[in-house]
Amino acid sequence: MKHCLMICALLLLSFLPGTARQPASRLLHYDAPFTLEFPGPESCGVSAGQRDSTGLSDSTGSWAVVAGGSKGIGYGISEALARRGYNLLIIARHTDTLLKAKAQLETAYHVRVEILAADLAYDSAAAKIGQWCTSRNIRLKVLCNVAGLGGANDYLSLPLDSLRYMVRLNVESCMALSLTLLPLLEKNAPSYILNVASMAGFAPIPIKNMYSATKSAVVFFSYSLRYQLEDKNISVSCLCPGPVYTKPEIVQDTRAKLGGFGNSMALDPHTVGEYAIKKTFKKRLIIVPGFLAKVSSSVIRFLPRRWITNIYGSKGKKAEKKARKKAEAEAAGAKTPS
Amino acid sequence: MDWAFIAGGSKGIGLAMAEALARRGFHLILAARNEEDLRKAKALLETRHGIQSEICSVDLSLAGATKKVSEWCKSKTGELKVFCYAAGLGGSRDFPLLDTDALQTMISLNLQAAVLLCQELLPLLKNARPSHILLTASMAGFAPIPAKNVYSSTKTALLTFSYSLNQQLKNDGISVSCLCPGPVFTKPAIEKETLRQLGWMGRQMAVPPDEVGEYAIKEMLRGKLVIIPGWLNRLLSHFLRFMPRRSLAWIYHRFGKPVQQDADDT
Repeated sequence: MKHCLMICALLLLSFLPGTARQPASRLLHYDAPFTLEFPGPESCGVSAGQRDSTGLSDSTGSWAVVAGGSKGIGYGISEALARRGYNLLIIARHTDTLLKAKAQLETAYHVRVEILAADLAYDSAAAKIGQWCTSRNIRLKVLCNVAGLGGANDYLSLPLDSLRYMVRLNVESCMALSLTLLPLLEKNAPSYILNVASMAGFAPIPIKNMYSATKSAVVFFSYSLRYQLEDKNISVSCLCPGPVYTKPEIVQDTRAKLGGFGNSMALDPHTVGEYAIKKTFKKRLIIVPGFLAKVSSSVIRFLPRRWITNIYGSKGKKAEKKARKKAEAEAAGAKTPS
Repeated sequence: MDWAFIAGGSKGIGLAMAEALARRGFHLILAARNEEDLRKAKALLETRHGIQSEICSVDLSLAGATKKVSEWCKSKTGELKVFCYAAGLGGSRDFPLLDTDALQTMISLNLQAAVLLCQELLPLLKNARPSHILLTASMAGFAPIPAKNVYSSTKTALLTFSYSLNQQLKNDGISVSCLCPGPVFTKPAIEKETLRQLGWMGRQMAVPPDEVGEYAIKEMLRGKLVIIPGWLNRLLSHFLRFMPRRSLAWIYHRFGKPVQQDADDT
């Protein structure tokens, strides 16, 4: 039954006008784990020397802005851009992780990395970044909106401030930054915008209520923006990864909630970042890294939303029950020795 | 002696919802921006249906507004049977033509305030179980409309949120509904714009605000999740949900006419 639906979904997707440009084999194509090695600091001299020198490190080189690029997927994306010779402006909240990312990227690749410590959820952040870019008149080619807040807590147990912060960071910062940097991107066309949403944006997930709601807004925003900016030669892409193991908590959470299936769907941030940038430069609209994630996302998009919500809901309840049982067992275990 | 709270209940669809609730004997708490409109609505509802009503003038897009409203609401009543969110900002001036302030207002009003108010009023709703939440999205939430970029993005987030919240509150005796109307001629400007964009089809799709409000309240009380007024809209919505989003975005972009007129609030 499930397989039939998957095949139907894939066939249907490949026949309809918008997706017809991608042959069905592309949708089924398995992207082998990335084979480029990630040069450590010791190999930097070699990699820098081999790079074609088109004035990479001075201000006339091409620039990319990565919002939320100091850790996780954002760092993976920064690294993929640096490997392609882009100078970077990385924005994140904490200066220490920024400095670390800067040091790592500058030693490994022959590019300039500028950092800006700012909380993107605040009103002034977009304006500040816009000002930085225009005052230096950089050749901005790529904008990546990666910053986002997920977390294992769901809507009902989140404090109001976190909800506000989530809307601000996940939805508003992405739109505001795109809006502010639009003139610069237009001037340096052809250019690229990469928004990072999630597979959670394809269908409602009750246990990640706010996260999936905000990410669905990012997915819609990317679809619309793609067509709005088509004439200006700015390509818009949207990265919708499944589980990505960026933090130990996420590994735990995914295993608990999605089990073995989630574990085999999960990817590491390097692979995701590299794949995302590769497809962004190929002007792909929706980027889903990983074979299993691609198949599941086709199914999710094809099935009625209510079914998906129910499936996710029952998964979540099972996970909750399991967690409760585990906590009870632990409490009982703690009691008996004493 | 059941109370209903309606955000954005002074005009348009919100007022129609208020009237439909008053007809069923609910006492009303109305919150909206314009105080004069609120007074008019209060007078109209009280004389026509003989119910009690309270009004609160507030701009829900401002920081801290939801807290103010929910606390004020708690001071008026201990339990709430119905919460309707009908405040929203649309208009033909959208993404590349906006400034960051307008963008922020739109996101706060369409998405953030709805989400915050739901959580803040949840204790009151739990006191009056079985109770109902009705959020207003739009048919624009079913597929991305490039010309109404931010509008359709925020509305789809609200739709997704409703699906999740319905699942989460199912066992608590609180039903969550999401109203997704097609074109509703609440103002002459909207009528003009819709007819220009959709022509004959727009006239067929349009449902008067009174009918939308009445239908929404009727279906909400029956616990329906997605509420779409008008048979043609219901039919179209199936088509929209079935087609790939990319094709729909392309269709909207290709056959939509360029925006001509200026901003308009709903």
